[in-house]
Amino acid sequence: MAQKGVSSDTSHLYDGKVVRSSAPSRKALAAKMTGSSDIPKDAIPEVHIPSFVESLFGGPLVPKMKFLPADKMVQTLQMASGAVMIMLGVLTYIVTPVSGTAWFWFGETIGVEVLGLAIHLLLVLGAIGCGFWGIISRDSRFLLISYVLFIIVSFRFAASKVSFEWLSFDDELLQKIALVAYAVLLVMYIELTNGVIRFSMLDTSIRTGEVYVMNVKKVLTKYHISLVITPIIAAVVAITTLLFKDVISGFVGLFSEISALRLEESVELESVYGVALGTMIVFMLVAIVFVADIPGRYQKMREGGAEE
Amino acid sequence: MAWSRKSAMFGSLAIALYLLGLTLRNHQLVTVAVVLLSFLTWAALRAAHADVSASGRRMEERSDEEAGASLSRLEAMRKLSAARVFEDGTVDVTLKVQNMSPLSKVLEVRDSLPEVMRIKEGANYILMELGPRRETVIEYTVECPLRGFYTVGPVCIRIQDSFGLFHKEKELHVYDDFLVFPKTEDLKDAFVKSKVPKIFTGAVNIRQPGPGSEFYNLREYIAGDPMKSINWPAYGRTGKLMVNERERDAVSDIILILDSRAVAETGPVSRNSLVYGTRAAASLASFFLSRRDSVGLVSYADEIVSVDRDTGKKQLYVILTKLAGAMARGSTPLQVVTNRILPHINKGSPIIILSCLEDDSTIVNAVRDLRARDFDTTILTPSSLEFEFDARRLDRTGYEVLKTERDILISELRGLGAFVMDWEPDMLLSTALAGARGF
Repeated sequence: MAQKGVSSDTSHLYDGKVVRSSAPSRKALAAKMTGSSDIPKDAIPEVHIPSFVESLFGGPLVPKMKFLPADKMVQTLQMASGAVMIMLGVLTYIVTPVSGTAWFWFGETIGVEVLGLAIHLLLVLGAIGCGFWGIISRDSRFLLISYVLFIIVSFRFAASKVSFEWLSFDDELLQKIALVAYAVLLVMYIELTNGVIRFSMLDTSIRTGEVYVMNVKKVLTKYHISLVITPIIAAVVAITTLLFKDVISGFVGLFSEISALRLEESVELESVYGVALGTMIVFMLVAIVFVADIPGRYQKMREGGAEE
Repeated sequence: MAWSRKSAMFGSLAIALYLLGLTLRNHQLVTVAVVLLSFLTWAALRAAHADVSASGRRMEERSDEEAGASLSRLEAMRKLSAARVFEDGTVDVTLKVQNMSPLSKVLEVRDSLPEVMRIKEGANYILMELGPRRETVIEYTVECPLRGFYTVGPVCIRIQDSFGLFHKEKELHVYDDFLVFPKTEDLKDAFVKSKVPKIFTGAVNIRQPGPGSEFYNLREYIAGDPMKSINWPAYGRTGKLMVNERERDAVSDIILILDSRAVAETGPVSRNSLVYGTRAAASLASFFLSRRDSVGLVSYADEIVSVDRDTGKKQLYVILTKLAGAMARGSTPLQVVTNRILPHINKGSPIIILSCLEDDSTIVNAVRDLRARDFDTTILTPSSLEFEFDARRLDRTGYEVLKTERDILISELRGLGAFVMDWEPDMLLSTALAGARGF
């Protein structure tokens, strides 16, 4: 309704008009208004239009919620995340050699071989730095950068065989355990840092009265138990998958030793495609469990069994 | 079983890393993917499923059992401290949640509240560990800032795994209704007097001092009493100035006309013409009924809703209930209302119209009809312009132009002999009434 360039003097609206009655205060005010007719700035609500990157993550990246100072649980999680992050950093440096990476290729191309190594080291240190800052300040943006850097470090063309450049294990099993430990630590790092943010939110909500929590100890105990059990289960499944060649050759060995030997020395099964086959079979078994609704049946049995 | 954003992210990341690992022949990436998938699978197994998509049936066909065995044996009961409150009043809610299962559960319980309600004490969102065959009581207090019919419920219950990857939800259909009446303002006087005595005498026994024709009692003179009411013989007998008090004449019928057309809701939710109108109608009804007058209400929106004239406390609650349920919709003109009700109102009865006077070209004609039949017409008009201007939704030029138009309309109505008050947002009802009647 505001028009630019039009005089703000509105006295002409009242020329020749006699308004005999009405609340005098408002009328007088309206007639005497001499200020600008522009719409006041604060009349337009602030609208945050998410950028492309923000929309990818499903919302604003700038955390809107201001956390209250960390409570004991959050502090414990922060310390655990920090410890896991340091271990992950060391293990990442051990299990991910620089050879085969894009930055290694770049360094070699321009004739500065050390550049690739420098970038590699920088990525690991960057991941640790961002993670450290993200954990301390409880800022999910830095944590996200840390996750991405930790994953990017391992992006490399590799020979099918497991190879560690910085440390060599003679025992294949040890190699695979180190690999699984690296993967489990990475997942636990993501989970623990996520827990820092989640429990900070919960703690803030509790202290601001938005949420009420009953039997906090029991709720937290369940979380702590899951933090121990889940990585163990994940590690066992991953080890089984990685050692699938040995499992299958052992099984076939019951029937034919020659076939078992062939399988054991198979280049394909040794390679990453062997792991793929193992994954397929392990998760097919999991799928059967889901299709048969075994967890649901087990739950029903527990609910119903105790009733009787 | 529903996936959270986190589990979806984990799943996508695992698949992406797995495929990338196969492409790059990279053991590290494949191993991370396998661990992520194992992590997800274990969480899904622990969250014990049996979901709707697996059964291929629609939501409405879902039974309790299919909602998940873990949720099937939870029950809830709710109790409200009051079924009827006035605006800004509070209601205490007591929610009892029972776990009939032999297993302990970590539950998130949220008691659904209407959006306008504010929690004053306690919380309607609880995270708890509920032991086997145990029950717990959740208490909270809600403040009800706006009139209306409200429903509390359903109770939403959620069980999720420890990492927040998968969850199952269930709604316990426990509902409780309550009513929020518009708040009333204490009025000392409405300055509305009947021009004719009450026709149906005997039906209501007034027995209160006030302006009237019948003698009520004698009392001592107070400065300001009119000289004509002094009882000179009594003065002669007692030596003190005594005045005659008269029994108040009942007002014939008070008719309140409330404009609840869609346009009446122009302005912020808590500050608009309809909110002010309903509060004024409630206050006036309460005042007149406490004086034992007969009060009727007509509310016009997309249809005309009326409450027949009556007296007493019951009538007050009937009117308050209608006012609580008044919804802004439609655009019935005032003249349609007056044409319909005029034949049924006693001549000379006071009529109080509560309207923003906007978007209705028949207002002048309607008021002219009322005045032509000698109805004592008072118009209280909360201005949407002021609400919009105060909320900074209206620029100054627009405000001034519309204000001028409104002032002209008000003067025209005053010219017809109606008592009109341009009710400013911060003005008390009693001040507005006094202003309308020229006090």
